[in-house]
Amino acid sequence: MADSTTTVPQAVLRIERVSRIFRMGEVEVPALVEVDMTIEAGEFIAILGPSGSGKSTLLNMIGGTDRPTSGSVWHEGHDLAVADDGELTEYRREKVGFIFQFYNLVPSLTAYENVQVATELVDDPLDPKDALEMVELSDRASHFPAQLSGGEQQRVAIARALAKRPELLLADEPTGALDLTTSRSVLGILQRLNREQNLTIILITHNAAIPAIAHRVVRIVSGRIAESRINEHVLPAEEVSW
Amino acid sequence: MRVLTRKLWREIFNSAGVLATVVVIIMVGTSSFICVKSAQRILETSQEAYYRDYRFADFWVNVKKAPLSAVKRVADLPGVAAVESRVVFDVILDLPHVVEPITGRLISAPTRGFDETINGISLVRGSGFSDDRNEEVILGEGFAQEHDLHPGDRINLILNRKRESFIIAGTALSPEYVYMVRGEGDFTPDAEHFGILYVKEAYARKALDFDGACNEIVGRLVPGAQADVDLLLDRIDRMLQPFGVLSTTPRSRQASHRFLSDEIRGLGITATVMPTIFLAVAALVLNILMTRLAERQRTTMGTLKALGYSNRQVITHFLGFGVVVGIVGGLTGIGLGISMSYGLISLYADFFKFPQFLFTTYADLWIVGMIISVVFSVAGTIKGTLAVLRLTPAEAMRPKPPARGGAVFLEKYPALWRSMGFRSHIALRSLLRNPTRTLSGILSTALAGSIILSTLMMYDSMWYLVDFQFEHVLRSDATIGMRDERSRLALYETQRLPGVDYAEPTLGVVCDIRNGRNARRLAVLALEENHRLTNPCQRDLSPIAIPPQGLVLASKLANILDADVGDRLELTPVRGRRRTVQVPVASIVEGFLGLDCYADLTYLSRMVGEAAAVNSVQLSVNPVRADALFRTVKTLPNAQGFSVRANTKGNIESTFIETMGISLGMMVIFAGVIAFGSMINLSLIEITDRQRDIATFRVLGYHPSQVAAIFFRQNMIVFTLGLILSFPLGYGMVVGMAQAYDTELFRMPVVVNLPVIVWTGLLAFGFVLLAQWVVYRQIAKLDWLEAVQAKE
Ligand SMILES: Nc1ncnc2c1ncn2[C@@H]1O[C@H](COP(=O)(O)OP(=O)(O)OP(=O)(O)O)[C@@H](O)[C@H]1O
Ligand SMILES: [Mg+2]
Repeated sequence: MADSTTTVPQAVLRIERVSRIFRMGEVEVPALVEVDMTIEAGEFIAILGPSGSGKSTLLNMIGGTDRPTSGSVWHEGHDLAVADDGELTEYRREKVGFIFQFYNLVPSLTAYENVQVATELVDDPLDPKDALEMVELSDRASHFPAQLSGGEQQRVAIARALAKRPELLLADEPTGALDLTTSRSVLGILQRLNREQNLTIILITHNAAIPAIAHRVVRIVSGRIAESRINEHVLPAEEVSW
Repeated sequence: MRVLTRKLWREIFNSAGVLATVVVIIMVGTSSFICVKSAQRILETSQEAYYRDYRFADFWVNVKKAPLSAVKRVADLPGVAAVESRVVFDVILDLPHVVEPITGRLISAPTRGFDETINGISLVRGSGFSDDRNEEVILGEGFAQEHDLHPGDRINLILNRKRESFIIAGTALSPEYVYMVRGEGDFTPDAEHFGILYVKEAYARKALDFDGACNEIVGRLVPGAQADVDLLLDRIDRMLQPFGVLSTTPRSRQASHRFLSDEIRGLGITATVMPTIFLAVAALVLNILMTRLAERQRTTMGTLKALGYSNRQVITHFLGFGVVVGIVGGLTGIGLGISMSYGLISLYADFFKFPQFLFTTYADLWIVGMIISVVFSVAGTIKGTLAVLRLTPAEAMRPKPPARGGAVFLEKYPALWRSMGFRSHIALRSLLRNPTRTLSGILSTALAGSIILSTLMMYDSMWYLVDFQFEHVLRSDATIGMRDERSRLALYETQRLPGVDYAEPTLGVVCDIRNGRNARRLAVLALEENHRLTNPCQRDLSPIAIPPQGLVLASKLANILDADVGDRLELTPVRGRRRTVQVPVASIVEGFLGLDCYADLTYLSRMVGEAAAVNSVQLSVNPVRADALFRTVKTLPNAQGFSVRANTKGNIESTFIETMGISLGMMVIFAGVIAFGSMINLSLIEITDRQRDIATFRVLGYHPSQVAAIFFRQNMIVFTLGLILSFPLGYGMVVGMAQAYDTELFRMPVVVNLPVIVWTGLLAFGFVLLAQWVVYRQIAKLDWLEAVQAKE
C-alpha cells in the first residue's frame, strides 16, 4: 500500500506514518491514519476519495497549513511536523502554491492585485501580468472577483499560485464548482504547467474521471491510503469527460 | 505590503459608515480630553503668570487700625519678603441710573507705580491717577463694564459721612479679584452689585482718618516659607493684637484664589474621568466591530497565511484598521478639542478676570491625545485579530462553525417563551447568542444614560442649592452692613426707614473655634431670639431655632472640627481681650456655601463682653416702597454695605447656572453621541450578520419597517436594561462629583427628582430612535435579492 521509499533521490516530500486526529469535545475524528507517501519532483499526483475521507487534511499536511498529530513530513531534511510557525510560514511562502476549492480571492482586490498579494511575498516572482497571461485572463486584470465567473476566479487563483514560482502546486478540488468545459480548461492549464515547467502538482478530487490526467493516482478511504497506482496512459485534459 | 495597504484603504472606504460611528466616539473622547485639559492648562498658566507678574500676596492681615511702625515690625519677621499697608473700606455707591445702593470696596493705592505693588493693579482703560486732584478713582473693569462707566465719568460715594464725587481715572484688574467675590460666603462673582475702587493712598488716609496708619497689611513670603505661613500668621496675630486683628488670611484661604484653584483642580478631575468614560465605550464598540471584521475576514486571513504571510504581517495589516480609526479620531478630536477649549475659556472669561489668557499650543497634549486615541482603538482591534490568528491556516479557511444555535435558556420556560411571539424570539435569540455584543450595548447605553442623568442631576442640584440658600435659609429682602458695631439703637433707626416692614439685627464676630486639634477662624453670625429673616435649616428644610446658648454649626464645619451635638468647643473672639470660653454645640444644620456658624445675639454679645451689639440689619421690604428705601440707604452715613437677596439669587441663576447649562448641554450631546454611535454600530454589525434573514423576510413580503421593527425590539431590550443600569451608575457619578467638589467654599447637594429621571429616559430614548432611523434606512437600502443569492 505504501510507496517504496528506498531509492528516490529527487523526492520533494516524504510523509511518514502521519496521523491527524481532530478532537471536538469528547469526540475524536481520525481524519488521517498512519499515512505514508512520497512525492517526487515533477510528478502530477491526483488524490481521489469520497467526501470526508481526509483529502484536504492530507493536503494541509503537505502544504504546511496544519500539523500532524503524529508522524513526520520530511522536506529537504526538515520535519515539518515539528517546525515552528516561522519555519512553516517560510516553507509555505517559498515552496508551495495553493489553489483552493472556493478560490479564496480577496474580494476587495482586483484580479491583478490578488496575484500581487502573492508576488509581493517572494524575491523572484513572475510578473502578475505574465501570470494572468498564462491563465488567459490578461483582459480581466482590473476586475474584482465579484465581476468574474467561477472559472475565471479559479484561473486567477491559479495565476496567484503560479506567480510565486512554487516548487509544489497544491490544488484542492479546483474544478469542484465548475462545469465540464471550464473544468477542462482549468485542468489543461495545470497539465501544461506540469509538462512545460516540470512543476510538481498534487490535485485533489472526488471526481473519478479527473485522475486520468495525472501520472499517479492515490486513493484515500477513511483516512487511509487504499491504493496508489501509476497511470499508464495519461489523458490530455481536453479529453476528460463526465 | 503595497497590495495589502490598498486592500486596507479600500475596505476602510467601503465600511466608512460603520467606522465613522467609532471614529466619532473616539473623537468625542479625545476632544473632551484636549478641551478640558487645555482649558485647565490655560487657566493654570494664566493664573501663575498673573500672580507672578503682579505679585499676588501670600497673606492678608486685617486690623481695626494699626500704625505704620507696627507694619514695619511685620516686615522684619523672618520669612516675610515684603509687606505693604493699605486702607480698605466698604462703602455705599450711588449710581444715578441704578435705584439700588451698591456696595463698593475702596482700596488705597499709590498714585504712581500702582502696578508694581503687591497685588499690583493692571490698568485696562484710562491713564491712571493724575496729579490734578485727589478725588480720583480707578474702577474695577468688570464693574465699569457692567454699569457702562468710562474714564472721565463721575461716580458718587459716601465717604466718612460725606457724599463725595470722584472722577474715574481708569479701569483695572487685580490678581486679588480674579473671581469677583466679596468674601467666602459669596458663591458667584457679581460685578454688577459689587465693585472695587482704587483711590489715592494719601487721599484715603486723610479722608478716612488713617494718618500714619492702615487697616490691612498684605505681604509676600520669601521662597520656601509658604509651608510655615500659619505659624507666621499666628505670630503676626499676637504681635498686632493691640491694634484689633480682625482676620488673618493665608493665600490658600483667600476667596478669589480658592475659587480659581478649586476650579482648576476640578477641571483636572474632569479631564481624567470624562475622556476615560468616552474612550472606554469607544474601545468597547471598536472591539466588537473589529472582532466582527476579523471574523468576516477569517478566510482571507487563513488564505494570506497559507500563501506564506507571517503572523506579524497579517496582524500589522489588520491593526491598520485600528490605527487609521485612531488617527482619524485623534486628529479630528484634537481639532475639535482645541476649538472647544477656546469656547470653554470664553465661558470662563465671564467668571475669571485675567488681563489676558495665555493661549499656547500644547503639543504635548496633542501627542498624548493622539496616543490615547490610537492606543484605545488599536486595543479594540487586537482581540479579534488574535482570535483568528490562533487558528491554523487550514482551520481559518474552513467555513466558521455555525454560530451557536439551539435553544437559549429562556426556552426552558415554555409557557413564558410561547407567550412572546416570534419577533421577540428572534430578538432574544440573537441577544443571548452574542452576549459580548449585547453586554457592550447595555454598557454603552448605561454610560450614556448615566452621563445624562448625572448632568441633569447636577443642574438640578444647583437650583436646589439656590432655593435652599436664598429661599429657606436667607429670607430677608435686603441687608444693610454697618460701618461699626452699634447698639440696638441702630435697629430702631433702620426700622423707621421708608419701605421697611420689619427689621432684624445680626452681629458677625470673627472667632477662633477649636475642638482639640481642629480649629478654624470664621465669622460667627449671631441672630436675635425669634429670628425670622435667617433660618438655618436642616437637610429636610425644617428650620432650627437658635438656642439661647451654644453654637449651631453647618454640617461641613462640624465635620472639619470633628464636632457633634453636645461637644464643647473653645471659642475665642478675635477682638478685645480675646477671652476663650467653652461653648457647646447645640445643633447641626445644612449649608452648602462657606462654613456657617450661628449663635444667639445676646449670648455672643455677652461673650464678646459687650451689651447687645449690631453690625448688620436684615430687612423685610415692602416691594412697593423699595425705591424709597434704596434712595434713603444711599444717603445713610453709617451704612457700609448693602445687598439685595433677589439680586444675589438672580445673579447666580442668570450667570452661573445658565453658563453651567451650556457645558451641561455639551455633555448631553456627547452622551448622545455615545448612545447613538454605539447603538448604530451594533445594529449595523447585526444587519450585516443577518443579511440573509433580512433578505428572507423581504422575500416573504415583509416591509422594511416590519423588518426594522424586529431590530427595534432587540435594541429596546438593550436600551431598557442599559437605562435601568444607568440610574444607579449616574447617581454614583453625582455622589462622586459631590465628593470631588466638596470644599469649604461650596458643596453640591445630591438631589433626585422624578423629572430628571424622566428626562434622562426621554433623551436617551430620543438618541436610540435616531439610531433606529438609521437602521431602517439601512434595511430599506439593502439589496436583498443579491443577499439571498449570495453563497456563504
Ligand atoms: N478542523 C477540523 N475540525 C474537526 N474535524 C475536522 C476538521 N477538519 C477536518 N475534519 C474532519 O476530518 C475528516 C476529513 O476531512 P477532510 O476535510 O480532510 O475531508 P475531504 O476528504 O477533504 O472531504 P471533502 O471532499 O468533502 O472536501 C472529516 O470527517 C472532517 O469532518
Ligand atoms: Mg476537502
